[in-house]
Amino acid sequence: MHRVLRNKTAIFLFVFPGLLLFILTFLAPILLSGYYSLTDTLAPGTKIHMVGLQNYADLILHDTRFWIALRNAVLLGIGFIVLQHPLSIFFAVLLDRIGGKAEKIFRTIFFIPCVISVVVISKMWLSLLDPTFGILNKLLAAVGLESLQHAWLGESSTALGTMLFILIWAGFGWGLLFYYAGVKGIPEDLYEAASLDGASGLKLHLRITVPLLKPVIAVQVTLAMITALKQMELVFLTTNGGPGDSTQFIAVYLYNKAFSASQYGYANAISILFIVVCLIATYLSNKFIRSDAAEA
Amino acid sequence: MRSRYKTGIWIFFLIVALLQLFPLIWLVDFSFNSSADFYSDHILKWPTDPQWQNYKNAWIDGKFLKYFLNSVLVSGVTIVLTVVLSLTLSYAFTRMQWRMRSFFFSVILLGIMIPIHATLLPNFAIFKQLGLTDSYLGLILPYTAVSVPLGTFMLTGFLRSIPKAVEESAVMDGCSIYRIVFQIIAPLMAPALVTVVVTTFLNCWNEFIMASTFLSKDALKTLPFSVMNFAGQYSSDYGSQFAVMVLTSVPAIVIYALFNEQITKGVTAGAVKG
Repeated sequence: MHRVLRNKTAIFLFVFPGLLLFILTFLAPILLSGYYSLTDTLAPGTKIHMVGLQNYADLILHDTRFWIALRNAVLLGIGFIVLQHPLSIFFAVLLDRIGGKAEKIFRTIFFIPCVISVVVISKMWLSLLDPTFGILNKLLAAVGLESLQHAWLGESSTALGTMLFILIWAGFGWGLLFYYAGVKGIPEDLYEAASLDGASGLKLHLRITVPLLKPVIAVQVTLAMITALKQMELVFLTTNGGPGDSTQFIAVYLYNKAFSASQYGYANAISILFIVVCLIATYLSNKFIRSDAAEA
Repeated sequence: MRSRYKTGIWIFFLIVALLQLFPLIWLVDFSFNSSADFYSDHILKWPTDPQWQNYKNAWIDGKFLKYFLNSVLVSGVTIVLTVVLSLTLSYAFTRMQWRMRSFFFSVILLGIMIPIHATLLPNFAIFKQLGLTDSYLGLILPYTAVSVPLGTFMLTGFLRSIPKAVEESAVMDGCSIYRIVFQIIAPLMAPALVTVVVTTFLNCWNEFIMASTFLSKDALKTLPFSVMNFAGQYSSDYGSQFAVMVLTSVPAIVIYALFNEQITKGVTAGAVKG
């Protein structure tokens, strides 16, 4: 048994191809990015001139747009955690309670937006939220609430909130599925014991469901922060960061810096900081949640 | 009492489901109407005169078939590579004994944390040098690289729940390690493997930003570009735009309808074992 599991050739064959691919498409690019980030290159293949840490200094000290992008990601992440996750847990519990055929049907329906491509989602919501012809403003007009009409993605006061709404619409199914799986793992007799003790309804779930879901919540909250930081495609295809910088995100910013503003060197410095931010966020949310779980 | 409570949830779910699906229903509805209807006051409109022309435009000018086949090829190869690599990696990380395995496991998991957007710029430069831009491989390699860390993560969770006795008896019978992994372990991991297949499929099938960065040749483009091309070409013809959006969404919905039980099972199995 041990001889078989220590087979060096097999280990090499099992690990090497995956690792090589990882090195070629993650590690090597990051190193190259680190190199470009020290230059003021305009585009790949043009003249390279070293500028040292100038890009980083500019980015951290003078670039308000970078910090706005980071703030937007944090706001979006908080939005996910405060709105999407409690909603997912609530629906997961109800789904578990309803049982039978309905459980399966609704589980299937709620997930449907998750299989639609981001290009379709973006274009569809642009049409739905069109200031003049969009359905939302039409509905508001129909019930006499013209005063609440907005150019939802076109006004800086509503754009980020609208983005959050679309992302929750599109991603709600995934959260639901993971929490549902977690709820299914809670033994039924725990509920019976607690209800014999007199707990019921909301209290029952706050005492049993939420604490027992903690491992799932921990993973999901970390993922929510990462998802918020990585936000790119929907923004890129709808507002491209605007109006103003109200929906600016790091990935959108670096993409436009590289391919529209021809500041390839600077964009690579953003890339490197972006990776650092993601790793710090993962580390912090892991640590925070671990200590939180230990207290409970 | 019990059943009234359930009826309550039923009604509540039904309302939420209708609200959630409304944008999609609206999209399908107006894809059968003319653009003039989009500009009208209708919230939904029964297509008394269904505009099949919209779908004809979508099929022909959206280059649906060509992009569809490209998407099938790229996703198909990516899925096969991802499944094989994730399976062997997760086996080596959970069952086999070697130094540095936890180090390399962490390295692979970094792939989940590192945003692909940060690798987009240097990869563009590297792929250009290697002649990989405007090639199928230029999409398959990064797609696989992104999918493998997640796949490995899901499979290691599942693998830990399979008793080691299975392999012990196989070794007694003189099975080689390769037969153990591919003929004994792989079938036992079927639910988790299906989850990996479906999530990889959804990610590749719907991926847009890498494809738009690495591809410029029309002959290689994937399905999301049908929608992109249309937004320019048919910018005021909303009926046709919606038709192409519906058309490109159908394959993913069909795949989901076929495999949705397995997705849930795979996720459930992973989550319970934690």
